[in-house]
Amino acid sequence: MNNIELLSIKQLSVKLQKKIILSDTNLTLNFGEILGLVGPSGCGKTTLLNTIAGFNELSTGELKINNSTQTAMNILTISPSKNIPPEHRNIGMIFQDYALFPHLSVKKNIYFGIDKLPKSEQETRTADLLHLLKLTGLESRYPHQLSGGQQQRVAIARALALQPKLLLLDEPFSNIDARLRNELMLEMRQLLKQLKMSAIFVTHNKDEVFTFADKIAVMHQGRILQTGSPASVCQSPSSWQVADFLQLGSWIPVKAKGNEYQTAIGSFSSTNSAIVDTNNEANNKNSQTLQFLLKPQAIEYCEDEKVNVTVDNIAVTEQGFRYLLSSIERDSSLAFKQLSFYSEMLLALGQKIAIKIKPHPYQIYQ
Amino acid sequence: MPQITKIRKKILLTFTSLCLISSSLVQANEEVNVYSYRQAFLVKPLFDKFTENTGIKVNVIFAKTGMAERLEREGKHSPADVLLTTDISRLIELQDRNLLQANDAEVLLDVIPSQYRAKDNTWFALTTRVRNIYSAKRLGTLDINYEDLADSKYKGRICTRSGKHAYNIALVSSMIAEHGSAETLVWLEKFKANLARKPQGNDRGQVQAIHQNLCDISLGNSYYFGRMLSDEKQKVWAEAVNINFPNQSNRGAHVNISGMGMAKFSPNTGNAKQLMAFLISKEAQQLYAETNVEYPVRADVMPSELVASWGKFKADDLPLETIAKYRKEALKLIDQAKFDL
Amino acid sequence: MLLASLSSSSDLFSHLWQTVLPDYITNTLILGVLVVCLTLIFGTFSAAFIVHTNIVGKRFLRWLLLLPMAMPGYLVAYLYTDVFDYAGPVQRALRYWFNWQSPNDYWFFDIRTLPGAAVILAFVLFPYVYMLARTAFEQQDQNLLRAGRLLGLSSKQSFLKVALPLARPAIAVAASLVLMETLADFATVNYFAVNTLTTAIYDTWLGYGDLAAANALASILMLLIFFVVVAEQRARAGQGHQSNRPNKNIEVIKLSFIQQCFIGAFCWILVFAGFLAPFILLIIMAFEYSDLNQLIALLPPSINSIEVSFYAATIATFLALLFGLYRRLSQDKWRMLPLSLAGFGYAIPGTVLAMVLLATFGPLDHMLNEVADYLRLDSPGLLLSGTIFAVVFAFVVRFAAIANGTISSGIEQIPRSVDLAPASLGAGLGKMLIKIHIPILKPSILVAWLLVFVESMKELPAVLLLRPFNFETLSIQIYQLISDEMLEQGALGAILIVLLGLLPIVWLNKERK
Repeated sequence: MNNIELLSIKQLSVKLQKKIILSDTNLTLNFGEILGLVGPSGCGKTTLLNTIAGFNELSTGELKINNSTQTAMNILTISPSKNIPPEHRNIGMIFQDYALFPHLSVKKNIYFGIDKLPKSEQETRTADLLHLLKLTGLESRYPHQLSGGQQQRVAIARALALQPKLLLLDEPFSNIDARLRNELMLEMRQLLKQLKMSAIFVTHNKDEVFTFADKIAVMHQGRILQTGSPASVCQSPSSWQVADFLQLGSWIPVKAKGNEYQTAIGSFSSTNSAIVDTNNEANNKNSQTLQFLLKPQAIEYCEDEKVNVTVDNIAVTEQGFRYLLSSIERDSSLAFKQLSFYSEMLLALGQKIAIKIKPHPYQIYQ
Repeated sequence: MPQITKIRKKILLTFTSLCLISSSLVQANEEVNVYSYRQAFLVKPLFDKFTENTGIKVNVIFAKTGMAERLEREGKHSPADVLLTTDISRLIELQDRNLLQANDAEVLLDVIPSQYRAKDNTWFALTTRVRNIYSAKRLGTLDINYEDLADSKYKGRICTRSGKHAYNIALVSSMIAEHGSAETLVWLEKFKANLARKPQGNDRGQVQAIHQNLCDISLGNSYYFGRMLSDEKQKVWAEAVNINFPNQSNRGAHVNISGMGMAKFSPNTGNAKQLMAFLISKEAQQLYAETNVEYPVRADVMPSELVASWGKFKADDLPLETIAKYRKEALKLIDQAKFDL
Repeated sequence: MLLASLSSSSDLFSHLWQTVLPDYITNTLILGVLVVCLTLIFGTFSAAFIVHTNIVGKRFLRWLLLLPMAMPGYLVAYLYTDVFDYAGPVQRALRYWFNWQSPNDYWFFDIRTLPGAAVILAFVLFPYVYMLARTAFEQQDQNLLRAGRLLGLSSKQSFLKVALPLARPAIAVAASLVLMETLADFATVNYFAVNTLTTAIYDTWLGYGDLAAANALASILMLLIFFVVVAEQRARAGQGHQSNRPNKNIEVIKLSFIQQCFIGAFCWILVFAGFLAPFILLIIMAFEYSDLNQLIALLPPSINSIEVSFYAATIATFLALLFGLYRRLSQDKWRMLPLSLAGFGYAIPGTVLAMVLLATFGPLDHMLNEVADYLRLDSPGLLLSGTIFAVVFAFVVRFAAIANGTISSGIEQIPRSVDLAPASLGAGLGKMLIKIHIPILKPSILVAWLLVFVESMKELPAVLLLRPFNFETLSIQIYQLISDEMLEQGALGAILIVLLGLLPIVWLNKERK
């Protein structure tokens, strides 16, 4: 069922208590895709999730959910004039705190949504889910008797019992031990893929998105700035905010001079560079200092050249050392700090070295 | 937690000091303490007069229930001097529990007829009242007996207050004295079958029910009639009924008393005696009979004009002690007949 | 008390058993069940509507629904009897319109019956359920309701299957309070001539003069309550849960116009029947019958009422806090005991409590006096049983359960980690309690204090028996007039008692905002 639209959001805006939380939001999701919704706190991710789930009403725009079965076409269209309550959207959701019913056992929690099905069907589905999520043996426990990971799996089982078309996950890994998180993410991704489940998950952790998502959407101040595969977004972030949030590289100031861009560590030709324009109102580019996105892999160490940076900080990583560098030139408008540079060489703190920028498609932001 | 402790200390201090103050008030001199079954406002004019005459302050607590129990618990430290009751059985109860002491004052013995005081001079009647039968005006004056309440011709036409009210218990006791337990039980059962509604309210409420045409006949003490006549709203009720003195052609109407006694451990015996003497004085009897619309126990004090207007009547001369004796038996029969249910 | 009941005279007991006791017990059970059911319906639904719907006038109804709490049951019983009785304006008007002549011409409900008493009691007791249920609903984790929605439930089903079960502990506490109030009530059922176990206790004690049998009956009553409480506690064992996240946005169901009308009417009828109507009747009475002198005469009893209620509320709240925190923080295996024991006081009818206290304080007073005699001091008199100490003590015993219930549920809402955090910051136990627990519990403490205060203002039988000389309270005055069917004379006093009862409710409402 790939490449068939499951969810499409057009021109959506949402107001809560007379405050605009989301505006001009467009998004599509195909069957079987996992979409990661990232952005800083307060950017509207959770509101978007709640709106898809049906807890918030739309102010403008349209939301379509493809609820077709193998035999019948059925597209739910939700607009400001026509709301569809959450229970009729066929969407499952995992809440940040899992929202397990504390007064019900694991089994009863899972039964909760499917209690209208025949008893035998209930039992097989529950047994399958318990097995799938490695919860067998915990059926009669109460939520407060389970670990965080187990609680999460119960929440997933409960949502999956209804066999929803789409699963929404609100910060699913934020309550999980950091050491287990990676493993759990991979496990969960595998599970979703195995079930051919479509999912949207919200996070403010960029590592989670890259591990977990097929597609990411970066949000900022109530808008979606960019959507695409993690690779394409990483390669060409559409705005300063996207690049900054995803920490794709370091920012250093550049100045345009003729057909060259000057930096504190050398200049490069403007023919091979693209200016990514985020602020539409700013047209007089030349008079401004621009920001250049310098990815670590585009930095080259030079032995013989004149030194231009100082080592400020050293960190040990899996693949060698990570250095934070600052320009020796301190007073000019091109001075910078905290430039990330990875190397297998051991440098000393305060050591002055020379680096230069490798030729590549340069990305300059306003 | 210094803050809390301070507040707590303060509260405790005020609290204990208040307790001390209120207890020391009780200890002050030239006063007399009255435990009353009778409502305070009915006796207050009398006490005011007493204070005016003697300068002795009267402290009253009123309670309809549990007074004897309280007295008993307080024992020899009880502050009570004089007890006022509205019913013979209360007096006998106090006497039986040995909570009273004799008062041999001549003033009392001289004027109170012997059937209206205890043989051992522990209690004395102040006023008498009749358990009357009220009837709807249209029935005319009835020559009726208590026994007739069981007559099926009154089916669904009788109202009364709870069978377990002291006044009704005393009446049932007098029936037992007259007819014996078995017959009284039958009477109670038939009486119950005649009731227009479950026993409820007080004696006034029954007269009101007659006024509303809910029933024709009700039991009620004599003084309620007078008190209703003097109440603006209740006057119409009273005007809808006749007051009948039952059993005039045989043993006479059942009579109960309101009375007094001196507490066994009275701390102010002198004042208590003064108060009791005052209550039996002509002046007080007049006032008391007047405010309560009852028959004064002194033969030489005339009942109020209103009470006198109801005419003379024959009273059952059954000794009050006998009535008190059958009290428990009466209560059991009332339970047995499920009179109130 | 139990000891005394063992030696009970079996004679009287078997007599009672053969005659009226089965009826009394049946009546008691029916009354209890009816009142609890009605208060649950009234209280839970009104709370649900206030929290979860967009009903018009919600802001006012939110606190208006608390007002009936200020109405003493016996007062409402009296006023409604006045209105709905055969002679009352309602039946008079009906007779006039339809030209009926006698009671045989038509049927009209009789208010002086067991169902009548149940309805009246429910009207004045439902705010307990309302208040606790409302708090529970407001504090629930809204995500649980949302999860219910996504699992296929409509908002109504989600409320019924998620919110309601989650609020069950709070509602159960409220229901047990209501049940105890009902079982201990004497004035209302007595006025309605409904015979219950309490009636039997009164009869045996004061009529038959048999304290032992009365004790035995009281023990039956307590046993009944004990089973209810235990059953309730067992039913919710093993369900420790609490949402610690404050709720900003509570999901609100948008109602259609018709729904608005029905639900609005439901809430307004409750407010009207439980408070406005009786209050208006009182005001009318006061206008017709009262003057300034009466008002002045009311001052001393009001001060007395406020004084004893203040002490009782303060002490009961303090003790509840102490016991509650002890239970929470102590490792002692008997730590539950004080709270559980204190709970029973609520179910003891005031008169029985008074008699137990007299039995306890009487001998103590005697000992005190003997000690004083021995030391050649002035005899202190009845220091305990003859002063307001006894009254305050009785109130504290009787209403401790209310304070305990409120404060315990407050304490349960404090996350366990909070007990440990202060120690990690170097704060001792005292500092922790003063800086952390008590401020967190402030709303619960206030509620507990106010509830005990209002209850004490209304309490009647215990104060009737235990009060010292010349110590009149408002409730005593009103009861005396009611029992003589002369409430008109005391209308002002009744209004005062209601208004005093209102003050804390209004204040509480402000405080919350």
